[in-house]
Amino acid sequence: MLILPKFDYEEPKDLSEACKIMADLKGKGKIIAGGTDILVNMKKGLLAPSCLVSIGKIPGLSEIEPRNGSIFIGSNLIVAKLTEFDLIKKKYPILYEAASVLGSPLIRNRATIGGNIVTARPAADLPPALIALSGKVKLKNRKGEREVELDKFFVGPGETIIKEDEILTNIVIDEPPPLSGGNYIKLGHRKALEIAIVAVASWIVLDKPDGVIKDAKIILSSVAPKAIHAVSAEKILIGEKPTNKLIEKAASVASNDCSPIDDIRGSAQYRRAMVEVLTKRTLTAALKQAKNSK
Amino acid sequence: MKKLINLIVNNKSYELLVAPNRTLTQVLREDLNLLGTKEGCGIGDCGACTVILNGRPVNSCLILAVQANGCEIQTIEGVADGKNLHPIQEAFIDYGAIQCGFCTPGMVLSAKTLLERNPNPSELEIREAISGNLCRCTGYQKIVEAIKAASKKMKKKEERLDE
Amino acid sequence: MSDYSVINTRLPRVDAWLKVTGEARYAADLSMPNMLYGALLQSPLAHAKILNIDTSKAKGIAGVKDVVTYKEAGTIHYGVSPARYDETMFCYDKVRYVGDEIAAVAAVDFETALEAASLIKVDYEELPVYLNVFDAMKEGAVPIHDEYPNNIGAEVHQEFGNVDEALKECYYVRTDRFVNKKQDGGFLEPQACLAHYDANGYLTLYTSTQVPHYVQRIISMVLNIPIGKIRVIKPYVGGGFGPKAGVNTIELAASLLSMRTGRPVKMVMNREQVFLHSRGRHQFYHELTTGVKKDGTIHALKHTCYLDGGAYTSFGIATVYYAGSLLGAPYRLQHMKYDGYRVYTNKPACGAQRGHGGVAARAAWEQQLDIIAEELGIDPIDFRLKNVREKGEVTCNDFNLSSFGMKECLEAIREHSDWKNKKGKLPKGKGIGMACGFFVSGAGYPIYRSETYHSTAMIKLSEDGGTVDLYTAAAEIGQGSDTVLSMIAAEALGVRYEDVKIFSGSTDYGVDLGAYSSRQTLMTGHAVKQAAENVKSQVLEVLSKRLDIPIEDMDIKDGFIVFKKDPVDFSEIRSIYIKEHRGWAQQLTGDRLTFQEAARIAYLEKGTIVGTGAYKPGELGGKYKGATVGTSPAYGCSAQIVEVTVDMDTGKVTVDSMTDAHDCGFAINRTNVEGQMQGSLSMGLGEALFEEVKFDEKGKILNPTFGEYRIPTALDMPNVNTIIIESNEPNGPFGAKEVGEGAIMPTIPAILNAIYDAVGVRINELPITAERVYNAIKEKEKKKGK
Repeated sequence: MLILPKFDYEEPKDLSEACKIMADLKGKGKIIAGGTDILVNMKKGLLAPSCLVSIGKIPGLSEIEPRNGSIFIGSNLIVAKLTEFDLIKKKYPILYEAASVLGSPLIRNRATIGGNIVTARPAADLPPALIALSGKVKLKNRKGEREVELDKFFVGPGETIIKEDEILTNIVIDEPPPLSGGNYIKLGHRKALEIAIVAVASWIVLDKPDGVIKDAKIILSSVAPKAIHAVSAEKILIGEKPTNKLIEKAASVASNDCSPIDDIRGSAQYRRAMVEVLTKRTLTAALKQAKNSK
Repeated sequence: MKKLINLIVNNKSYELLVAPNRTLTQVLREDLNLLGTKEGCGIGDCGACTVILNGRPVNSCLILAVQANGCEIQTIEGVADGKNLHPIQEAFIDYGAIQCGFCTPGMVLSAKTLLERNPNPSELEIREAISGNLCRCTGYQKIVEAIKAASKKMKKKEERLDE
Repeated sequence: MSDYSVINTRLPRVDAWLKVTGEARYAADLSMPNMLYGALLQSPLAHAKILNIDTSKAKGIAGVKDVVTYKEAGTIHYGVSPARYDETMFCYDKVRYVGDEIAAVAAVDFETALEAASLIKVDYEELPVYLNVFDAMKEGAVPIHDEYPNNIGAEVHQEFGNVDEALKECYYVRTDRFVNKKQDGGFLEPQACLAHYDANGYLTLYTSTQVPHYVQRIISMVLNIPIGKIRVIKPYVGGGFGPKAGVNTIELAASLLSMRTGRPVKMVMNREQVFLHSRGRHQFYHELTTGVKKDGTIHALKHTCYLDGGAYTSFGIATVYYAGSLLGAPYRLQHMKYDGYRVYTNKPACGAQRGHGGVAARAAWEQQLDIIAEELGIDPIDFRLKNVREKGEVTCNDFNLSSFGMKECLEAIREHSDWKNKKGKLPKGKGIGMACGFFVSGAGYPIYRSETYHSTAMIKLSEDGGTVDLYTAAAEIGQGSDTVLSMIAAEALGVRYEDVKIFSGSTDYGVDLGAYSSRQTLMTGHAVKQAAENVKSQVLEVLSKRLDIPIEDMDIKDGFIVFKKDPVDFSEIRSIYIKEHRGWAQQLTGDRLTFQEAARIAYLEKGTIVGTGAYKPGELGGKYKGATVGTSPAYGCSAQIVEVTVDMDTGKVTVDSMTDAHDCGFAINRTNVEGQMQGSLSMGLGEALFEEVKFDEKGKILNPTFGEYRIPTALDMPNVNTIIIESNEPNGPFGAKEVGEGAIMPTIPAILNAIYDAVGVRINELPITAERVYNAIKEKEKKKGK
């Protein structure tokens, strides 16, 4: 048996109670949602918070609410539901793709979208897709609520700009523009239970069906302390007519936009090479989706 | 500080006083003596600890018992109806889907939820449904065949009930 | 079509019901009243002298009942083979790997035991750490074991024929190197045990083991308890694959703690501790020089192998032999030279793992043979067919191939896989490859020098005649031995499968060397068959006298007595039976005499009917040094074809299909044989593509989890077209021989050869990660560019 260290447990009935508890704990407490990341780290002896605060009983945190064209996804929504809801599959397929390859079906039945964001693993599956969708997170504490773009949320492995008394309540995704498309590819060793060697999320918006690329995002993960934009590659694309050659050029440039390391899953050199391959593949797929979208 | 919780396990209600740091696997095995749920790794990598929680198969080693308060849990012990095995269990026996048996409880529960949601799964859907349950003995083939056969059997049963 | 009533069928496993309902009990499921929980203290350093061990703080924790180190355990050395008893229960002078066991604590609950273990203070003096064979063998390296100053713990030098001369006679000679990585058994159930030393001085140890007999003997030796006062009982085991084929520290520690506290002690490993204990597959560095004649005859093989053995010998003393001795056997090779070196390093000890020493060697050589076949312009299957041995032949190292269906296996895979239309003809990125495999069907000699029978069996008929109780110490570890032995007993005796009740896995039931070297179907099967035939003759003897019919005119089949000649009036027996069962709802009324009635009469006549069987192979093997390792009463063989897709841009390899033909002599249970084939192939696929235990520069395992030590998931393993070949092994019960280990042998090379067919690159290092294939493809493109 792997034993957990001892800790206190709170199960607030609503958000204001949760915020009060987090404020009183002054950083000694941690939120537990699905537990698939935090409990692993606690069992491995990497983490020993004195109190776990569950958001499991707080109403309204596990739904998707459409609001004026945007959707508000409750942070406690399990990843499995992101693969089951037609809304996500049809309107935000890149998020569906990322959710589908996270862990295993058993993990997806507990892991939450909020947890996958706030734990800030460099290889986490949802952040690249959510950044590509220009997602934002809502952070709440006793003092109030703020909204932060996911682009600005991550700092490094396990580190975000969330304050020690804040709770991530919602993920906000705006209506995708017409003629937009995205794709997420994760390269792993096996076909399930994998943490990515490299993953890329690409996003393209066209101005006209046969027009130029109005907006492009290429998000690379597992090749830097956090998910990052392939900045120069994105620059190459914007304003240009999408051709195979352009995509290949962007892909080649993207591999220089990252700083991968050697680790037990793969070498830096291989990761760099795979950034190019996955960028090309995701851009091609994203473009196809953009052209076919309404 | 221990918490008073209520778990509904295999349709039976249990009131338990548990420390927060006890996982659902521990409480099922140690407090309720339901030993069919196994611990293979303790960190969600293998699926040997699979139980069905509010209709979804999950790794019980990554659930605090206190989080499961008020939830409906099905373990392998709750699958058969007394002496009547579930069609999945019968198929596992008939198709040679069991060798050492350690992954079996988890496999059966993952398969059960699959067939309840998707009565006619393709081979790929079956493999995806059990992709979180590791098996070192069988190579999965006979497990997949058993689940396919069970789906057909369950469909036949359904059809007969409709007649 | 077989003449048999029970065997060669697809009967369901005897333990299937218990396992599918969650009722089967494994070691960690067991508990006893008044039980204590044990925890280990393991070394954080890979190589260091122990200066001092201070257990005082640990002893002072409330709830701690005992703390033991070498001071209490003593320093009697043990291991797997008496030739290399190089371990002690706890380290006393030094620690030799990260994870080496130093102490154990027994406490009222597990958390307290863990806390106390963490408070044991050890002072170390660090020593240089050697994490690979080359560093360990360097001049001036500190000996990890004093008795082996150059850190070579075992060496093998064998030559058959004259290899150097033979190589000169060859048309084509090539040398290739190949290396795999240290691998892990990957069984789902971590080791666990419960030891109970009772007030009468009897020790009962319930443990997750493959070898109750060897565990019993080592405990007797180390703890100085007479063997007759030790019972080792194996509950259901969640897979073994080799690493559980030797005693482990928790078994010894729990037994010691129970002796000292007088209370039962339970110890369970967590997954990381399973990796630290290891006793899994070695890392092998192979160098193979093979010479062939122009017509494709394999003429000479020179083979050098370095094994990275880890800190202790464990089963490795046999591994270093197996790595060389099995290699040439399937082929008509007269000139074979093998030099093997097993080197100590500061890592967890390696031992026997499915295929024991032969897997990496076979992978290396079958890939090389593929290269050679291509060089000669001969199809790989034809190349094998040209060279394979046949039944009755004896290999250059004195393996007697009493049955050998390799030719049939090769023809079967060729026929069932569309090989002719696919080899070399698939689009770029898709490939097909094949390889052969070979393994022993039970080690010819026990691991300790002895005249002992390898398996004994007892059959006791229940006094009422209705049940056949089969007692065997054989270990059911998932492979299905309980089922197969029950079927053999039923067939040999003539009763129905459901009439047999098997009691197994306890040293109380006899001697059985256990589940390793793929031996139980053949060896225990023989003992069981003998016991069954013995009981059969006892029953028929009584009947013969009673009914005044010669024994030869009777038989037992399907639970009935068969009268071969004229019908017989057995009414007297029937009426006795009915009289004795007044009040029973069901009465026997059929017109055939049942075994139950006959067995009942036999009991009334003679008392309890008990039959025994015992098996040991005859004199086997050659007279050369090391001849005892590799020799076996029979040999399994197989051939496999694999199809792969290689993603040319990422290097990722997907195995799309597998066709496997395995000669198991005779399939006692066809479903079981297929299951062993499919399982072996999935393990081979994992070892080929994913599996590797990784260490940091301090000797700490980087990936002691199933998340980062990757065994195949259901999405990674394709379907296997399994073909059972039955060559009818004369030395096997009903013609049966092994399948459990041999089936893994062709898998890795078949995948390697398929990758070559797909993208034209040769991989000489396992695992075949996408990165490795990608680099090889890039390298090839660069060379082409030049």
